[in-house]
Amino acid sequence: MSSGMWAEKYRPKALDEMWNQTEIVSRLKSFVKDRNLPHLLFVGPAGTGKTTSILALARDLYGPAYQNYTLELNASDERGINVIREKVKNFARTAAIASEVQFKILIMDEADSLTSAAQHALRRTMEIYTRTCRFVLIGNYSENIIEPIQSRCSVFRFGPLGEEDAKGWIKHIADNEKLNLLPEGLEAIYEASTGDLRKATNLLQAAAATQSGEIDDVTIYSVLGRVSPGRVRELINLGLKGQFMEAREVLRGLLIDEGLAADDIIRLIYSEVLRLNIPERYKVRLSDTIGEIDYRLTQGARAEIQLSTLVAKLVIIGEEING
Amino acid sequence: MTAENQPWTHRFRPSCQAEVVGNERALSQFRTWVRSWEKGIPKERAAFLHGPPGVGKTSCVVALANDLNLDLLEVNASDFRTKKRLEELVGRASFQTVTITGKRRMILFDELEGVSGQQDRGGITSIRDIIKETMIPIVLIATSPGEKWQDKFRPLVDLSTLIEFSPVPFGAMVRRLRECAAELGIAVDLEVLEHLADRSQGDLRSTLNDLETVSRGKERVTIQDIGGLGERDRKDYTPDALNKMFSAKSLKEARSVISSAHIDYDTLFDWIYENLPVVLDSPRDLVRGMEALSRADIHQTRAQRTQAYRLLKYMFNEMTGGVALSKLYSTGTGLLSQVREKTATLGFPPGAFTVTESREGIEVKPVKYLGNDWRTVNNGLREVGAQWVRGGNAWLIPYFRPPQLVWRYRRTYQSRRRRNEVAAKVAERCHISSKEAVAEVIPLVKVMVDGDPGMADEITGWLDLDDKQSKWLKS
Repeated sequence: MSSGMWAEKYRPKALDEMWNQTEIVSRLKSFVKDRNLPHLLFVGPAGTGKTTSILALARDLYGPAYQNYTLELNASDERGINVIREKVKNFARTAAIASEVQFKILIMDEADSLTSAAQHALRRTMEIYTRTCRFVLIGNYSENIIEPIQSRCSVFRFGPLGEEDAKGWIKHIADNEKLNLLPEGLEAIYEASTGDLRKATNLLQAAAATQSGEIDDVTIYSVLGRVSPGRVRELINLGLKGQFMEAREVLRGLLIDEGLAADDIIRLIYSEVLRLNIPERYKVRLSDTIGEIDYRLTQGARAEIQLSTLVAKLVIIGEEING
Repeated sequence: MTAENQPWTHRFRPSCQAEVVGNERALSQFRTWVRSWEKGIPKERAAFLHGPPGVGKTSCVVALANDLNLDLLEVNASDFRTKKRLEELVGRASFQTVTITGKRRMILFDELEGVSGQQDRGGITSIRDIIKETMIPIVLIATSPGEKWQDKFRPLVDLSTLIEFSPVPFGAMVRRLRECAAELGIAVDLEVLEHLADRSQGDLRSTLNDLETVSRGKERVTIQDIGGLGERDRKDYTPDALNKMFSAKSLKEARSVISSAHIDYDTLFDWIYENLPVVLDSPRDLVRGMEALSRADIHQTRAQRTQAYRLLKYMFNEMTGGVALSKLYSTGTGLLSQVREKTATLGFPPGAFTVTESREGIEVKPVKYLGNDWRTVNNGLREVGAQWVRGGNAWLIPYFRPPQLVWRYRRTYQSRRRRNEVAAKVAERCHISSKEAVAEVIPLVKVMVDGDPGMADEITGWLDLDDKQSKWLKS
């Protein structure tokens, strides 16, 4: 098999291969042993092993043909709850006859992006098909999942990986790929990915592609400068320097050419603002402004207009800071 | 209805081409195209007649149909709202070259400007499909405000022979008015005719209407009689409308552009947004102006969500008055200094260009012949929206530039399509959503592919991308 992306190549294939999350893993193993499992709800930040552990569980449970018994849906890619229901129906109405396990597994990623009305519809569907199908719902925040669903699921909370575990993982891949990763490089990857192993792995692979020799912090920063956070920082700096028109062009590039969603851009702006080298009280003011614009976006306002308004506010704050 | 009771504009509508006033060149162009159908189907199966209102576009078509004894099927804007309705109307007719009585046919789509952007895009597409297959001549007519009207009708323009109509010349108009008055036995002072012709800006139809109004019940019309005639609300050319809006001193004045502009309010909103940072060149004004636009946007969202369209008036107030009245500290020299700065960075000694302000915009004129440097300068100045004016040997940077959004979407159509295809594949292989693929993973994959050709081949193979998709990823 061609290796492709390292994040997939090194994704643990069995529960035994899981990196940390030991408590969760041992409970999941007991489900495999019993050949039964309840509906599950996995919550936690990106890149902490939610999808990986359920795929590993499925493989342990069904063997190599696990794909016949699992269906992966991503709530944010499906067009509405009716489409989801239809897919679930088609998948769940036949029992898993060829397997000694009596049910199939439906994995619903980004379930927390469903509206609460859609979640109520989903809850009903879960009830109808419980006999033939187990639902595994995955999301970042449990608060966004309605209570009736939470109460029907075993909830597993995935914490961000600690520094030691995260670095261990990165080193593990670097050694396997025979990379010359210097400690500063490792530190920079960890800083940028903070416990998100997928991001860390992609970052390492991108760095390895640009640099065949030693990978240090400079290599990592130059990669970061070329991806969205770098472009967002450019946008913020142009705004603070009062170059509104130029900042607007960068914004249009992100929105249209790169196709980033408004909420992704505002999330990046927020995290970059917190890292800015400006007096702390301005960070608070900017955070308030960003919050207001973020709310307007949730109300369905036009992305470019609202984000441009935010840039205009950066201009005025920039002027105040520079006196 | 007898001829006496008909409005003058109907009564004096030309019945043959010889009676049409002005626009001789357009007339002969149109006649030549219609007659070319006698020798088989020409390359362009449609003729697109465009020009200001009241100059004889429709009259010219009706008159020629009379001259050549053609059966004219007229379709109005309100008829092509839905594809189904349109096909009922003309779908079949466009394949029947003659009527049962043996007359040859022609189809006329009039008042295309009434087809508004979003909802009726299907209408435009259906007309395009009909043009592609028609066996009989199709005539399209739109009143063009002389700006980017062609973009809206792009699919039609590309398939048509374009015929432009101009305002009716002053002399020809006065002559025609005198003829009409004479025919009705009314004595109208030349002064009156000249006054009416002058204020109409070449719109013969509106002048005839005015003449009818002032002559009602009279045998003789003098200059004293035209006092009661109101100024007609002429639609403003968009840059003029913007100029009026941005320099307004009251809410009422600013808001009037909503109805006086040629374009719908959504498009006007985009124009205002595009040009706001140039006009509001002081940061304090800019932030207030943008906040007003942002509020306008919110009012519109609410109006659409709740279907309470009375809320739109708050949008109108914010996007016009809110923006215009934010202008307190701006000097309005933003564009000029922008152009000056740009010109200075082109690598020429000071004084190589003259920069002057004209009615339409800022002119940049090279002092001497540029030769091979022309292209460099052109590329540089285009970034600030400059266009080379051939006869004038100068670049013109219009004060107001059209919204760049549509243009940008059109320009990036192919690459956005590839991006979405690649995102779907990455999403599947990496067990994430397409949105996450676009935001988090693809940017890093691009770095990988760009940095290491071996890795590039591995990844594109693993993702099972076709040539176009791989090329996009590598670009």
